[in-house]
Amino acid sequence: MRINDRVFGMLMLILAVAYGWEATQFPIPFGGHESVGPETFPIMLSIILGISSIYMIVRPDPDEKWAPAAMLIELSVVVLAMLAFAWAIEPIGFMPAAAIVVSFLSWRMGASITKSIITGVTSSVFIFFLFNTVLELALPLGLLEF
Amino acid sequence: MDTMSLLMQGFAVALTPESIMFAIIGAILGTLIGALPGLGPANGVAILIPLAFSLGLSATSSLILLTSVYAGAMYGGRISSILLNIPGDEPAMMTCLDGYPMAVKGKAAEALAISAIASFIGSFIATIGLVILAPILAKFALRFGPSEYFALFALAFATLGGITGKNQFKTLMAAAIGLMIATVGIDISTGVQRFTFGTLELFEGVDFIIAIVGLFAISELLFFLERHAGDGLKQVAVNKLKLTAKDIIQVLPASFRGAVLGFVAGVLPGAGASLGSFMSYTLEKRFSDKGEFGKGDPRGVAAPEAGNNGAASGALVPMLTLGVPGSGTTAVLLAMLISLNISPGPMLFQQNPDLVWGVIAAMFVGNFVLLLLNIPMVGIFVKLLSIPPKYLMPIVTLIASVGIYSVSHSALDLYFMVGFGVLGYILRKVDIPLVPIILGMLLGPEMESSLRHALVLSDGDWTILFNSGLSIGLWTVALLGLILPIIVGPLVRAKMARAKASEKDD
Repeated sequence: MRINDRVFGMLMLILAVAYGWEATQFPIPFGGHESVGPETFPIMLSIILGISSIYMIVRPDPDEKWAPAAMLIELSVVVLAMLAFAWAIEPIGFMPAAAIVVSFLSWRMGASITKSIITGVTSSVFIFFLFNTVLELALPLGLLEF
Repeated sequence: MDTMSLLMQGFAVALTPESIMFAIIGAILGTLIGALPGLGPANGVAILIPLAFSLGLSATSSLILLTSVYAGAMYGGRISSILLNIPGDEPAMMTCLDGYPMAVKGKAAEALAISAIASFIGSFIATIGLVILAPILAKFALRFGPSEYFALFALAFATLGGITGKNQFKTLMAAAIGLMIATVGIDISTGVQRFTFGTLELFEGVDFIIAIVGLFAISELLFFLERHAGDGLKQVAVNKLKLTAKDIIQVLPASFRGAVLGFVAGVLPGAGASLGSFMSYTLEKRFSDKGEFGKGDPRGVAAPEAGNNGAASGALVPMLTLGVPGSGTTAVLLAMLISLNISPGPMLFQQNPDLVWGVIAAMFVGNFVLLLLNIPMVGIFVKLLSIPPKYLMPIVTLIASVGIYSVSHSALDLYFMVGFGVLGYILRKVDIPLVPIILGMLLGPEMESSLRHALVLSDGDWTILFNSGLSIGLWTVALLGLILPIIVGPLVRAKMARAKASEKDD
């Protein structure tokens, strides 16, 4: 199967066209037209990207296998967990957020529940104190703030 | 000797207690990073940049720290090659060929010690080479005008895939994507907004450090999850070290040859550390009359290790003197220089001699530290290597996110990091190399401004790009770098595969 490269090549071709078109729409800079404007370099890039994506569509490489659907769902859950961590770091604080996300990740990577909780809690507490006291980079305390 | 006195001044910088401390910390961290499979030097240095940045270290200190990490990672890569038969990064592959059989035969400690000595020789000779070659190249590069620089950047991209590159169009595509990301933001010379879609956060462009950490570290985590590699691999036990002077003397010639070859491969565009260690190994095999190559010959451990480390230091030559890195890790080091507001290139040697020579001297110091660390203390690294990734990778991810977060204290940066992680995962699935993307993001602004300078000088005449002998030469090399791998690449790859396969059959 050589689907991956074809699909990706097409996406990149669309990007190249959109990017190049967008570049031609730049407003003319103050001081009038010069021989090279802000659009020159981007237009060159869109041509290079266009050529290489056409090559990819015409002469695709064999596919690398995608993970089965269950794994892809799991990976998306992990990505969501990391985004949730990014969101939670300020409102609920670094330590709880990090403890939860590290425990979750190491559990998903195959550690037992108790061991992953131990890893999560110790690493987040350790890193928090390392950063706040030793390296003096303030991480938010969040809920633990009094 | 002008160079000598500058180097002595460099030692004055490198031998202050503060610098020595950073060199030691860097060496330890680097060895760890190199030893852990799946982390790799580029990855490790990338994670540490935001930390060095937000700690407010001085330019010299952070550069000493990170070059020691870089050198340490090259040392560390051999540990997993020898004990697990898994190269920590690509150049360490050749060390597996004889290192692992040695370990299986119960000579793991000897293999580790010999490779440490060979690594030392490799780095040491290559650093001397750097001292000699860098000022010459820097002086030469002063003659470069904007059109030569534009050609040089093109050359960097064209040769990045290396002689062993698989699909040149994918390298080209990756470079274009990286350069395109670099164009996002307000255009410096005209003030026109490009591809910002009116979003305030995009006015300053996309931060390449966030992109690097996302593309490398986060996508690696996703790959670990997918492969269920959380439990780690079985490693060979380490015996007690019995190393005689005779053993060391036996591998010295191999190490010297490997070091010189590696250095040359490191300096040349498009060759890189992988080819350095490969050439050192095959040459050594042919050169030595008899021997048990592939079955645990100590010279087969020493040659590629010296080559690998020699190439790593050699790769710093084009990075420091021209501002054009030749490998992923040097690209990441360049990222750090740029974020410290230091532009590498020929002017660096004139404007910041303290910094350059301090770093070069620190490489000598770091190399001694690494040798000392790696022979008596190798046991500690081996222990750490046995921590399964299922505990380690989440913690590494956490440290990476803390680093990114502490640069500007914004959750948005972390969203971007995760986004780049997903992008990196997809790109690796379709086999698009990540390094040209990074390099494109780094070199994009410089490349564009040199093009514009050249064209403004010539009043829009594009032939200025090809009107000096130097720039024509650079374009020729760039074209060769793009076309040669299509012809030679399959042959070299087949050879490397055969070397690996024949070792497995025995």
